[in-house]
Amino acid sequence: MEVELVEIRQFLAQRNPFVYLDQELLDELPKDIEIRYLRRGGTFPPREGFLYVVRSGAITIFDKTGELCEKLGEGDIYSVTCQLVNLSQCDRGEAAEDTLLYMLSCDRLKALCRASKAFSEHFSASVKERLRAAVNTTQESSDPTVAAMMIEVGSLVRKEPVTVESGMTIREAASVMSNKDVSSVLVLQDDKLVGLVTDRDLRKRCVAIGLNGSEPIDHIMTPEPKTIEASTLTAQALMTMTRQRFHHLPVTEHGRLIGMITATDLANQQSANSAYLAADVRKAKTVADLIEISKRLPALHMRLATASVTARHIGEAVSCLTDSITGRLLEMAEAELGPAPVPYVWMAGGSQARHEQSSHSDQDNALLLSDDFVPAQHDGYFAALAKFVSDALNACGFVYCPGDAMATNPQWRQPLKVWQGYFSRWIESPDPMSMMLSSIFFDLRPVIGAVELFAPLQKMILKKSQENRIFLAYMMANAMQHRPPLGFFRQFVLVRGGEHDDTLDLKHRGIVPITDIARVLALSLGKEPVNTVERLRACAGTPALSNDMAENLEDALELIASLRIRHQADQIRRGMQADNYVPPDQLSELEREHLKHAFKVIQTMQETMVKRFGADKLG
Amino acid sequence: MFTRFLGKEYQRKKALAQAAPGPLAEYLATPFPDKNSDCREIEIVAIDLETTGLDPRKDVILSIGLVHIEQFSVKLSTAWHSIVRIDRDIPGESAVIHQITDDQSAAGAPIEELLPEVFARMAGKPMLVHYSPIEQNFISAACQRLYGAPFVVPIIDTLEIGQRVFVRRNHTIQPGDLRLFNLRPRYNLPQYKAHNALSDALATAELFLAMADNLYPGRPCRLGEFLSNR
Repeated sequence: MEVELVEIRQFLAQRNPFVYLDQELLDELPKDIEIRYLRRGGTFPPREGFLYVVRSGAITIFDKTGELCEKLGEGDIYSVTCQLVNLSQCDRGEAAEDTLLYMLSCDRLKALCRASKAFSEHFSASVKERLRAAVNTTQESSDPTVAAMMIEVGSLVRKEPVTVESGMTIREAASVMSNKDVSSVLVLQDDKLVGLVTDRDLRKRCVAIGLNGSEPIDHIMTPEPKTIEASTLTAQALMTMTRQRFHHLPVTEHGRLIGMITATDLANQQSANSAYLAADVRKAKTVADLIEISKRLPALHMRLATASVTARHIGEAVSCLTDSITGRLLEMAEAELGPAPVPYVWMAGGSQARHEQSSHSDQDNALLLSDDFVPAQHDGYFAALAKFVSDALNACGFVYCPGDAMATNPQWRQPLKVWQGYFSRWIESPDPMSMMLSSIFFDLRPVIGAVELFAPLQKMILKKSQENRIFLAYMMANAMQHRPPLGFFRQFVLVRGGEHDDTLDLKHRGIVPITDIARVLALSLGKEPVNTVERLRACAGTPALSNDMAENLEDALELIASLRIRHQADQIRRGMQADNYVPPDQLSELEREHLKHAFKVIQTMQETMVKRFGADKLG
Repeated sequence: MFTRFLGKEYQRKKALAQAAPGPLAEYLATPFPDKNSDCREIEIVAIDLETTGLDPRKDVILSIGLVHIEQFSVKLSTAWHSIVRIDRDIPGESAVIHQITDDQSAAGAPIEELLPEVFARMAGKPMLVHYSPIEQNFISAACQRLYGAPFVVPIIDTLEIGQRVFVRRNHTIQPGDLRLFNLRPRYNLPQYKAHNALSDALATAELFLAMADNLYPGRPCRLGEFLSNR
């Protein structure tokens, strides 16, 4: 290469996908370039058969109907004319400014694709593969100093599993446990795991109830215990334990039993992890204790983010902790106010219900009471209970819901029959108010209390919503309030109609649209999950949602949510208030590109669903 | 301008008669392009020289950079840059500008070995430069010395075009306005950091594309409109 063309080499070398080319190919690259100038208003592309890189200036691309598709600025690449199958509707454009273009012939592009696999993947890979790769790269970039959560549970197993045979007496099993000095033992039958017995089981299920020690161990074991694969990350093991309230998990390797891990093993391994916090929550004596513990939530959030735990699992960890705190607060409230006069269940709405909370989420909650509830007699108690919990949650950092969707609001502290009436009205005659409440109350989950009260309510919601097409059309039309941007242009976010935003609202332009899509799908199919990923998985493979689209949406969500979590962790680290707004200049070129793919997936699905549910016919 | 250009063809034939057999004579034997041809269609060669000074009688060429325009695109595959081995030390004051050292020059090729390549590329094409006297006069001086005849070439000069645009718009020209790197931002062209014969030839080529496209937006541009009187 002429050394004088170094600047052109450098310009291209820092741009995706040229970054994937090795040095030799990069050295050869400039001589394959042609340079072309387009004055403002000039037709783009000036010639077929080339890939274009904007060197200076700007190009606007339109679709066949004249709608703006994207805007290319310095360094942006346009390869549509080189694609074998042109799936893009966006194939015409003009120079928005006087523009200098670098051109690479499609033939040379093909030669480069043959020479470099990574480079070629950029052009050949489907949106699906590219999103998946993007999610994988974000998860790889872990900080070694905080990578403790990335350790596989297999590495925490210290000794061979201690096992007993099914049919052995409780007394024999207990002596095996004390001889081996373990707090739990696995029960095998024909070399297959059939049960788990812990110290706690010996106490609660045997000694406390006076069960004879010569009974078979099978009587007090937890049958078919959940196991975990050795390759599972400790972070994920923690989530499982916290969420399902397990203290022991048998570990398998390719299905073969290799040992046991306990919550203590995990807690020892990392002191600031969520299991440790959860244990503290359970031990907390006063609201003041819980406030202190809650102060460590941002730090947990930050550590999990730095340790590259997936956004989904961080959301789960934070939500589980909020559940624990709520549960502990209700115990404290009952200790102060006395037992509840009628059965009740404390319900979480919104992000906590979806297991997608971040450490600074608002509180959304409600009380579902037994139909035995008599307002004049009982509401004083539940008003006090709700106030106790809600005030304490606020003090813990889960600030009051600005829309007053909380159990302290008498409207949201009602017996089952009233709730059923609410939902009937919302579903059968949807109005702006019910749409506003939909993101809170159509994501509803029982947290603690008489959980059985919830099932009939949920059943009724899913049955009615499934049958009511007009309601679904309204829900989808409402969901269209939050649309993803088209992409980026220079330091701006490019939105529909050609407007520019200064910052990218990751929540409302990325996460909320996917959450809304999943909610409408789940309600239309009568699926129970409230977590967005679980909803997508439950609806995948139906006419409403292909398996591919479900995976794409899941990847898009993880990508956007993990960017948000890292953005917020960074703000927490710098002592700032965490928010959802990312200035585009803080995003790498690669992140911008990944985001663009994610936006495209969301946009496609939104458009499909608007048609499917007739949201475009509402007027 | 018509007669002037006829003059170029006349000058070409006259020089051809004078030139010793060899590269210059071969170059001069090729007719110049038709002045009515569309500059969006023809080949144009952008060239820039670095020299030891400004006087072609005393100073010499230090390096040559050139790149071709074809079909109104700059083809980097044609980019060519060579350093000339000269018979003297490089004056310090010029080295500041072109940054060519004595060592680099010593590793170069003598001008008589480089000119044949230049002529082979330029035959039948207009020469595109920014401020033509330097290139025209220095190459001509070398030709007189080596082949006994002047270098004759149809010239497109972006400085002259720039001047015309200023005058046409009734803009007063401030000192420095017409310099290559002051004209480029007016057309939204990027600034290159490096300054050497090739990058300046490239910068000139891009500037010409921008000027021509703005003067004749989306339509043919007659070569004759751009040819210099020199």
